[in-house]
Amino acid sequence: MGLHNGDKMMRYEEWSKLARKASKRSLWMVHFCTGCGAIEMPPVMTSRYDMERFGIAPMATPRQADVLLITGYLTVKTLRRVIQVYEQMQSPKYVIAFGSCTINGGMYWDSYNTIKHLEKYIPVDLYIAGCMPRPEGIINAFLELMKLIDEGKARGWERYQKYYDKYKENQRRVFNFEVKEEEKEEKEQKREKNEEH
Amino acid sequence: MKSIELLGKGEEMHGRAYIKLSADEIEESIKKLKENGFNHFVMLSCVDWLDKGKFELVYHMWNYEEKEHAMLSVDIDRNNDVMKSMSHLFPQIETYEREIHEMYGIKFEGNNRLTPFLLENWPHDPPMRKDFDSKKFVKQMYESIPFIEGDENEGI
Repeated sequence: MGLHNGDKMMRYEEWSKLARKASKRSLWMVHFCTGCGAIEMPPVMTSRYDMERFGIAPMATPRQADVLLITGYLTVKTLRRVIQVYEQMQSPKYVIAFGSCTINGGMYWDSYNTIKHLEKYIPVDLYIAGCMPRPEGIINAFLELMKLIDEGKARGWERYQKYYDKYKENQRRVFNFEVKEEEKEEKEQKREKNEEH
Repeated sequence: MKSIELLGKGEEMHGRAYIKLSADEIEESIKKLKENGFNHFVMLSCVDWLDKGKFELVYHMWNYEEKEHAMLSVDIDRNNDVMKSMSHLFPQIETYEREIHEMYGIKFEGNNRLTPFLLENWPHDPPMRKDFDSKKFVKQMYESIPFIEGDENEGI
């Protein structure tokens, strides 16, 4: 309609601002219950803490959800399913990660099959520290997320698109349990030693 | 205790019967206990004695009438980690053997279901063995993966 490109952009910005303002008050979450964090969700949902007064509601399917909650440690086997769920969700989508296990491994820092840093595999908008965080912490995180959405700072899903190749490369490496050349050499040496015996 | 009387050896340990057996005796002993009231096979567990160079397999059985717990212990060589499967006596042993095969690498002859159980695509040494260096593995496996660059708030 005779609008310049710049005008279109401006309109887009304004509309998305409005959309963000509206959508931040109706966050539907799919809670991927791994680890111990799942047990903190029922009190948050039910009448004691009542998250629905902020417009947050649980949703059964990822396709209709806005927020993905990762509630605790993830094994590599579960991470594969988490990524499937995350990729099924429609943009804009946000990820909240619970507890120290998703930040740096937590008490599973030397475990052979849990991932240590969740943000290496999917973009995380918000971490809640603690082992496990209390329901107040979870409510606080949601309010913080609303603020970030309002300010346009929760852009993890855009990061996922921008660095898609790098995320995929990291995921491939962890799924295939790839190791460096050193360990392969070591294994061969071990095998040779065994054969000598 | 009844199981010690039945098998003619063993000792009482913290209210449970602990019976040391050789690998050949285990099948008959389980059969004998099963016929005499020990009809609940509780679990099969495994201990890795690295400095002694052996694996210890412990078959736990329970008698409901006598309320007696019998632990049948077998040592197998760490370098020759093969054991006869007992899954024909109690079907649930198959699953325990499957898990131990995955976590300790012990081969059970006669068990046809030693497929991956809890781990996916695992090409390394069995992780529960004492000589599996888990800290080193974490360093090579997880810490070597780089963080994604860029600012956190960065969009497209």
